[in-house]
Amino acid sequence: MQDGIRNSGSPNGILYEAVVESPPPAESSVTPQDVLVVPEIENTVIEDSVIVDSHYDISVQASVVDENQDMVLATTDVNISGQDSFTMEYSESPSQDIDMQDAAVAFDQKPLSTPPLTATLPAKDEPIPTSSVHLTLNGTKPPNGAVLQPQDTTPAYRVKFIMSGHTRSISSIKFSPDGTMLASAAADKLVKIWDPEHGELLDTFEGHTEGISDIAWSSDGEFLASASDDKTIRIWSLETGEVAKVLKGHTNFVFCVNFNPQCNLLVSGGFDETVRVWDVARAKPLKTLPAHSDPVTAVTFNHDGTLIASCAMDGLIRLWDTDSGQCLKTLADDDNPICSHVKFSPNSKYILASTQDSTIRLWNTQTSRCVKTYTGHTNRTYSIFCDFAPGGAYIVSGSEDSKVYLWHLQNRQIVQVLEGHRDVVIAVASNPTRPMIASASVEKDLTIHVWVDTNAETLDS
Amino acid sequence: MNTKLLSNPFNITYPTAVQTSLYSQASFAKFDPSGRFVAAGLPDGSARIWDLDTKSTVRWLEGHVKAVTSVDWSRYSRYVLTSSKDWNVVIWDLASDTDPPRRVATVRFDAPIASASFHPRNSQILLVLLSVGEAYIVDLRKEHRGRTELCEPDDADEDSRQRNAAFTVARFDPSGKHIFIGTSAGYIVVFNSRTKTMVARHRIAGAGILKGLDFTKSGRRLATNSSDRTLRQFNLPVYPSPPSIPTSSFTPPPSSPPSNLSNGANGSNEMNEVNGTINMDASILETELEPMYRFHDPINKVAWHSMSYSPDGDWLAGGAADNATHKIYIWDLQNEGQFASALDGGREPLVHIHWHPTKPMIASTTNRGNILIWHCPTPERWGAFAGGFEEVDENVEYEEREDEFDIEDESDFIMRKQRMEEEPVDIFALEDTPTSTSLNALTSTTTNGHSHNPHHSLSAPLPHPHRQWHDSSSGANGTEVASRSRDEDEDLAWADEDPDEDYMEWRLKVLMEEDEDVR
Repeated sequence: MQDGIRNSGSPNGILYEAVVESPPPAESSVTPQDVLVVPEIENTVIEDSVIVDSHYDISVQASVVDENQDMVLATTDVNISGQDSFTMEYSESPSQDIDMQDAAVAFDQKPLSTPPLTATLPAKDEPIPTSSVHLTLNGTKPPNGAVLQPQDTTPAYRVKFIMSGHTRSISSIKFSPDGTMLASAAADKLVKIWDPEHGELLDTFEGHTEGISDIAWSSDGEFLASASDDKTIRIWSLETGEVAKVLKGHTNFVFCVNFNPQCNLLVSGGFDETVRVWDVARAKPLKTLPAHSDPVTAVTFNHDGTLIASCAMDGLIRLWDTDSGQCLKTLADDDNPICSHVKFSPNSKYILASTQDSTIRLWNTQTSRCVKTYTGHTNRTYSIFCDFAPGGAYIVSGSEDSKVYLWHLQNRQIVQVLEGHRDVVIAVASNPTRPMIASASVEKDLTIHVWVDTNAETLDS
Repeated sequence: MNTKLLSNPFNITYPTAVQTSLYSQASFAKFDPSGRFVAAGLPDGSARIWDLDTKSTVRWLEGHVKAVTSVDWSRYSRYVLTSSKDWNVVIWDLASDTDPPRRVATVRFDAPIASASFHPRNSQILLVLLSVGEAYIVDLRKEHRGRTELCEPDDADEDSRQRNAAFTVARFDPSGKHIFIGTSAGYIVVFNSRTKTMVARHRIAGAGILKGLDFTKSGRRLATNSSDRTLRQFNLPVYPSPPSIPTSSFTPPPSSPPSNLSNGANGSNEMNEVNGTINMDASILETELEPMYRFHDPINKVAWHSMSYSPDGDWLAGGAADNATHKIYIWDLQNEGQFASALDGGREPLVHIHWHPTKPMIASTTNRGNILIWHCPTPERWGAFAGGFEEVDENVEYEEREDEFDIEDESDFIMRKQRMEEEPVDIFALEDTPTSTSLNALTSTTTNGHSHNPHHSLSAPLPHPHRQWHDSSSGANGTEVASRSRDEDEDLAWADEDPDEDYMEWRLKVLMEEDEDVR
């Protein structure tokens, strides 16, 4: 994220042209809208054109400098969110003759909060005004429309509800497959079911004797599995509200759990460094895979249930064949930082993995290469969840700086940062059926925030 | 999906070893079209549905009072058809919540039933063969409700032996357009499913009573098992489709299905008179079919209990009726029908065999009732545990590149990495892997290559992310009707009218067991 002067052709957003226009000076006869009236100044140079997207909350420091970059004509801290223009005041009038053509508008972004900003200065042979310059941003579409994910609207998630009820750190939240319910698990040994549309608590499941690390919904929404430090996994039936099965077998804390798409198998991983596959209907363990050499932090099935991906604190991501239990592949980057979470893409060709070096990587499972990297958040200690945002054009993740980050999937830029939590945001979940994200936080802030994208065109609510 | 990761360079596509045994008292076992389940019929009148993921029984279909003689699956595995010696045929709905599942229909006949099967496209059309040698088509749809006996027309110059011959085996072909019936006189009689008229009669020289029929997925080849202990493979001719009486629309013949089309000769005259798309040969095709290959056991002269094609049609598996051993013979049809391998399944003799619809997997049933699941064992690749390493078969001399060990500037490296990451990534498109489209291959017709896929997102990339907000609709098969060409698809259209409720996305509910003991 350098300061925002870049070549045009940036794949997102809209190409703007900054028209520098003069303020209406008292004695000038030039109308403000188009021509810049400046005193006679020579030797200007044009900067490259850049791209501004005014949909964002943009708070920048803009400065107009001359060609040699040794003279700053004006600087200002300005919030140009949604605005078409802003005015920059000079602290003092320039002592040299500077042609506006040589001037440049440099946007210095607040770090990591916006995509890079750019602005174009027209090739006008105009001098710089003496007291202030009013910059107008006009928009035109990029010529080749190089938008890779046809998401015309950029996300603007706003808090809808803040739900509290847990008494200890929340560890995991998941939306039900139809998007109508949100389940949360916490160190207070409870599983709570919420209604994210209305912000209400629907149900609480009690039964574990130790704190819970992870929960998972079955794909028909009938069952909920919870993995707990009491070394068991409990399967709760939504229909009866009671525990349906208790799966015993792990020899240490169970950390992660997931159903397969057909809901007849459950996979779990834990601090005993194994990955276990269970028969749901019979509550029997089917396979125990000697998966890793450190606690297993995440396990998941792919979209048709034929593959299991697991990641662990040894930094490795392994792919297993469900049928035979054989290891098919190991994905590892150079450093082996502790891997917190893995998730398959909807077509299972890619795996999203977050690691505790504050990076999220997208791996191509077939070529075993990392194809995208997302940085900017903080993840050094906790196993923070990451997910594909609703719509599939963004990646969402929590962070240890109490914020929720959203990156553009293709160009890896941070598109939005959601603030509101007061402690580490350990879990995020994206609603499968509507443009809604939930986030949950730990000890000092025991709330679940539900965010809704006000920009998304929901076709059916 | 895993075929790429589990790539076996030699690609032997028949199973070689037993993966598991399902302990049951089954008389026979059959895979479902998706390959997830096995249906087994028991001599006590019940049928069991086994889940291959968990290797355990998930549904008990209890209702018959005498032995179950055959089991069939509907296209997307939602409905199961069981026929029994107690004169009944029952359709079960596996999508129902209860166990035993809800019975959709029970059809009664007046004799024990030898076999029953669904029409491949519509589970409301049934083909039932009674043990006395009569075959019926039962149509449960509102508009076409009725029961038609399939009879051969009486021709003057008919071979008397054949006229009195009983039907011994009856099957739909994979497209559902025709019904193939084997008789006790060694003939195969072909009926058109829609018109219930006979379109062909083939004599098979040397065959005794026909005991079994199996088709390749494309429907172009047929294997027969007959009492002369020989399996024969035939290439099937194309059968002309008799036009319906109003030829210019999709509606079926206006009369309700004729109860007995007894006058075949007159029938064909009638058809000749009608306007429209008449094929030149509207009369009955009478030929003698010459088999491409004959398979028999020259040494022991053992008969065959049953046979089954592999999904690609390249292999034929035959279950030997040997009393002492459990033997499955595999022939390689790509290579002149050569004998490829004989699988030995232990002491318990074989009674039935069925090949998995998509994978190299066979289910063979022993006379004790146990079902052996055969698979291709993949050797464990220990190299998969180390990231970044590839296993090679032989030592490779490595020639490093000229610039291999150049020290690269850190910032250059970062720039290069950034640029590589600009490549677009598609997380939604599913390419057509063999496993995901096997179901499509199964449902595509032979004449029309258009594959059935009512569920959009499986076959094409989602063009717009917002499409996700819509719930996936349960694809009604009837929507496909309009897109077809008229001529060849009247039969298909007839079958697709009033479609059943079998669709790809139905889910088998996981029913929690009450306690540990398996019933």
